[in-house]
Amino acid sequence: MHIPDGYLGPQTYAALDAAIIPIWAIAGAKVKKALKAKQVPLLALGAAFSFVIMMFNVPVIGGSTGHAVGATLIAILLGPWAAAIAVSIALVIQALVFGDGGITAIGANCLNMAVIMPFVGFYLYRLVAGDAPSPRRRIAASGIAAYVAIVVSAIAAGIEFGLQPLLAHTASGQALYAPYPLSVAVPAMAIEHLLFFGFLEAAVTMGIVAALARRDSALLQMRPASRPMRWLWAGLAGLLLLTPIGALAPGTAWGEWGADELKSLLGYVPSGLQKVGSTWTAVIPDYAPAFIRNPLVGYLVAAVLGAALVVGVAWLLGRLLSGRNDERPDPPQETTAR
Amino acid sequence: MIPALAHIGDSHPRRRVRARSLARRTADTIGGAVSEVMLNDDLASSPGLMQALDPRIKLASILLFAVTASFVHSLPVLAALIVSTAGLAYVSNVSVASFARKVAGSAGFFALLLAAPSVTAWITPGPVLVPLGPASVTLPGLVVATRLIARVVAGAGFGLLVIWTTRWSDVLRALTALGMPDLVVATLAMTQKQIMSLLRTIENMHLARESRMLSAGTARENRGWVVDRMAFVAQRSMKTADEVYDAMLARGFAGRMPSLVELHTRSADWTWLASALVLSALFLLVDRMVFPV
Repeated sequence: MHIPDGYLGPQTYAALDAAIIPIWAIAGAKVKKALKAKQVPLLALGAAFSFVIMMFNVPVIGGSTGHAVGATLIAILLGPWAAAIAVSIALVIQALVFGDGGITAIGANCLNMAVIMPFVGFYLYRLVAGDAPSPRRRIAASGIAAYVAIVVSAIAAGIEFGLQPLLAHTASGQALYAPYPLSVAVPAMAIEHLLFFGFLEAAVTMGIVAALARRDSALLQMRPASRPMRWLWAGLAGLLLLTPIGALAPGTAWGEWGADELKSLLGYVPSGLQKVGSTWTAVIPDYAPAFIRNPLVGYLVAAVLGAALVVGVAWLLGRLLSGRNDERPDPPQETTAR
Repeated sequence: MIPALAHIGDSHPRRRVRARSLARRTADTIGGAVSEVMLNDDLASSPGLMQALDPRIKLASILLFAVTASFVHSLPVLAALIVSTAGLAYVSNVSVASFARKVAGSAGFFALLLAAPSVTAWITPGPVLVPLGPASVTLPGLVVATRLIARVVAGAGFGLLVIWTTRWSDVLRALTALGMPDLVVATLAMTQKQIMSLLRTIENMHLARESRMLSAGTARENRGWVVDRMAFVAQRSMKTADEVYDAMLARGFAGRMPSLVELHTRSADWTWLASALVLSALFLLVDRMVFPV
């Protein structure tokens, strides 16, 4: 997911480089307040761990190997703000020492992997795990959080790639940077992470959380979340408000054509597809609620309804896991960050 | 050479590829990364044009070139930028062949894979060169893909110049001199040291496992072992942080970091920066005036 130089145009990388600086400043102030002078070795070791976790080859399908990013795990261990700094430091060192990720794209890479991933992962973990989780619920929560966080982060990278043909092209429409439109870049990034890397990230995170729960459960003590939970809702609201960007993408994502589009592409609709296609009618087809005429507002409303459904299912899942578990919860919560 | 890295010098690595276990492969990867950093520092300490420059000026000029490459759209000017990265490598006593291999083998290869679908009519419609149905290769598609690959290669070349001609300690000095807070620079410095220490630990873990194993083990066993070792490293990282902080306190740390040695620029540094500015302006001027897209 490390974006090298050359894929993003100056408008994008300059905006993202500028956006990451205040985030680092806020993260620095938050971490300094919580950790005081102890922050230097803790952040350094957190960053070093963030770096080396990517060096572990994990066996996957067919004898090949992959690696995890670990940002959700670091957020669980250090808290999201400290994780934002630690993963950012690891990414800067990867770019400047190992040439992994571009110099101009440092802002984009840090936003995707050091901000979006730990924040989404941490708050989803808190949401699913609850305040005093049992070990089993904590492990399940870490897996769900890691899976969703890496997928959201990949989608963010896909949006950054997909915006390039819209932002920079020649008079004849040729892309000047990453050439794939939103309708290709976002599904491409999302699908590979939904089907493969998300599961790898979840498995590694769950495995480490389970091992840490056995070895040293103090490392997994819950951080205060009453105030930060507001940030989760604020972030979710912000993302929802950005969803109409998806409506800017022309055409339909590859492979997601409806019967009408297939007919115009192929000249006919395959009979099997026609038969199966009519068995289920979506409640809100094409993310366009029938009762709203404006397509952008309809897209936004569909996103709000979808997010509410996901949050509801996650909450129910958390309650279910909590109810099933008979193991004792952890000792009283830690009130200050490590 | 560090004993743990001795296997890197294996003169017949290919013959062993099929027999290498996961532990050995990972140990080799990590050993390679550690030795690469050590070699980079050696290279950055050798005499050469880029090595002689003040690190602040060097970082500023390379960033200027990388930004220039991102603004250039024409293929001839992008090609000139790539040639100039090779030229800078040459005058910095860096083997141009190694430099080209490294740039082409990493950034170039992945850019090629990523850019390949954009040559088709599906992504970039236009006059067809090779008719293959929906996957027909188009002329504008070829231009788009070549431009993307050329820009990525130029950017990677400038990035590699920083890595191969600047010691990490000089990067930190430059960041301090450019106004980066001391605590951030100290954290970066400590992180790099801890990365090397943890990498050696992980490499030794893998070598130790390989020496104890009679077979390569199943994927499931290996996964379980890898995840358990990751947890060990996480635990060790957090504990080491406490120990390092205790050591800092014992040595009189009171919350302030001493500044690193001050840097002094020479007239040659400013001449280089002025040349970089003129060259960048020239590249952009030629791109916009001679080869407009």
